[in-house]
Amino acid sequence: MPRTPPHHYASKVRKPAGFDSFWDGVLEQAAAIPLSAKTAPARLRSPADIETFEVHFNSLDGVRIAGWYCLPRERSKKLPAILTVPGYLGEPPIPLDWARKGYAVISVAPRGKLRSNDQFNPGYPGLLTHNITDRNTYGYKGFYVDAMRGLDYLLTRDEVDVKRIGVVGSSQGGGLAIVAAAMRPEIAAASAGAPYLCGFMDAIGLTSTYPYQEINDYLRLHPDSRKEVEETLAYFDGMSFAERITCPIVVNIGLQDNICPPETGYEVFNKIASEEKRLYTYDGHAHDAGSHEHSQIIDAFFSRHLNP
Amino acid sequence: MADNKPEDFEQYWGDTLGELAALPARPEIEAVPMRDTDSATAYGVYFTGLGSYRLFAYLSIPKGEGPFPALYYTAGYGSVVTPIPQGASNDIRSRHITFSIAARGSRNADKPYAASFPGLLTDGIENPANYRLRGIAADCVRGLEVLLARPEVDASRVVLIGADMALLTAGLASGASHVVAGPALLYKTLEMAEATNAYPLQEINDYLRLHKKAKTAVTRTLSYFDVRWHAPSIEATSLLKAGPVQSATDKIALASLTTAISGPVTVHESENSGYKDGLFADKWVSSQLGFDAPILPEHWR
Repeated sequence: MPRTPPHHYASKVRKPAGFDSFWDGVLEQAAAIPLSAKTAPARLRSPADIETFEVHFNSLDGVRIAGWYCLPRERSKKLPAILTVPGYLGEPPIPLDWARKGYAVISVAPRGKLRSNDQFNPGYPGLLTHNITDRNTYGYKGFYVDAMRGLDYLLTRDEVDVKRIGVVGSSQGGGLAIVAAAMRPEIAAASAGAPYLCGFMDAIGLTSTYPYQEINDYLRLHPDSRKEVEETLAYFDGMSFAERITCPIVVNIGLQDNICPPETGYEVFNKIASEEKRLYTYDGHAHDAGSHEHSQIIDAFFSRHLNP
Repeated sequence: MADNKPEDFEQYWGDTLGELAALPARPEIEAVPMRDTDSATAYGVYFTGLGSYRLFAYLSIPKGEGPFPALYYTAGYGSVVTPIPQGASNDIRSRHITFSIAARGSRNADKPYAASFPGLLTDGIENPANYRLRGIAADCVRGLEVLLARPEVDASRVVLIGADMALLTAGLASGASHVVAGPALLYKTLEMAEATNAYPLQEINDYLRLHKKAKTAVTRTLSYFDVRWHAPSIEATSLLKAGPVQSATDKIALASLTTAISGPVTVHESENSGYKDGLFADKWVSSQLGFDAPILPEHWR
């Protein structure tokens, strides 16, 4: 049977009634934890035009989180800033490229990534289903907070203009960008590529690829847990967060994306409440979501909104 | 120092493989029921590599009568190793054995050595005997031995998949019928690093910025790993994944590598599209293994 065209797909995800109170409570809990940030120069990773620092700060459950922080060496006034959030498998890159464009930039390693995995290390595959039957202990609860603590770090920096902060990511980073833009009013502009973590329960019926396949693996061994899994994931689904986004945002998706189905990309975009939002669809592209061409669009978007 | 194959290249790798051969692999296998499917059974395999280091691999074997063709995912550049690559249809496990190695430093093989990223590419780089990639290359060779020892494997259809390590493995060991790989970090490494500021190659630039006097030693070490010098030993039928047109690794730029490979070579130039490049590779593998059509992810059908 032919597939429904992706832009006609209707997500099965419903925002839980307790969603807002749950997340307001989580963020309140996180806000009470002192950041206790340490910022150490990373001389080896600092080329002539960029200063790179290795940073660590506290997050939920007392987990110590790592990140890379880069600044252009030549700076005479406050800088706009970028929070970059990582994909599922790769390690957060050192964001020299953003610093070179005139931004203060932090690249966060949420819990479970290397350098942030001493206290929490569910592995890969594993993270996606870690404590998946309880929203209060689900692995992504802390993971989402860790990403947003990167923003808290930026807010402490004297060189950062706190009115000009953006968030950018692709794949899992795209999902995290949606979460951060939804939950934190300090985000002035957002770019989400090939967003993962959007339409979890849709995606497991639309693809047979990892990482979403982890959920199918889990449900095959634990078929009686399906209801709890669905309930938990709705609290972490970008579909549930999207209506809280009001900042300018660009989203790009690949119409042959075999990892984050384009159906879910269309649906999460449709739910975003921002007045200024634009979806870029790339036919002939998979999970790269047209990044080769789209990177210039992202640069221009942040340049317009954050004015580096 | 000239950009040449070292005079003692064969000696270096002969010694390395001799050292490996002296160590029994001693594979131990355990079921991983979480990753089973209706048509395939999943396992974790532990085995010994150079320096008595215990390594790991995910192994998946189709249910039913074998032997089956095998897809061997060699070590890439990152800490995470998954049972099959992200984005591949899980259904490929219904007709192929898949073997995905965690070489030393990667998760599941990160004790006692946990590699850092960035960092791995320059770990021990001033001495060829201590360079981390020596152990990782040997790990990939050992992985092939472990895979080929499985009675379910159709030894006439074994595909090495990956990047530099797939090419090195094909050059250092016999037994693979096919290779699907694109050089990423071990092709003219210094020259490529000088032309970029993107990681992982930026690691080389970082290192040489702080260790200016090390360039000769770094050049020498890297020369043992350059895929051009391994190419003449590659007899498998190869799909070489080149960069896009006019990039530093496009078809023209890779000519010296392509022509040096002993076996038949098909070169595919990237179209800057994971879909188009992936589809080409999947069709090529399927055709080479004698199937009518590849098993594609849903959105590629």
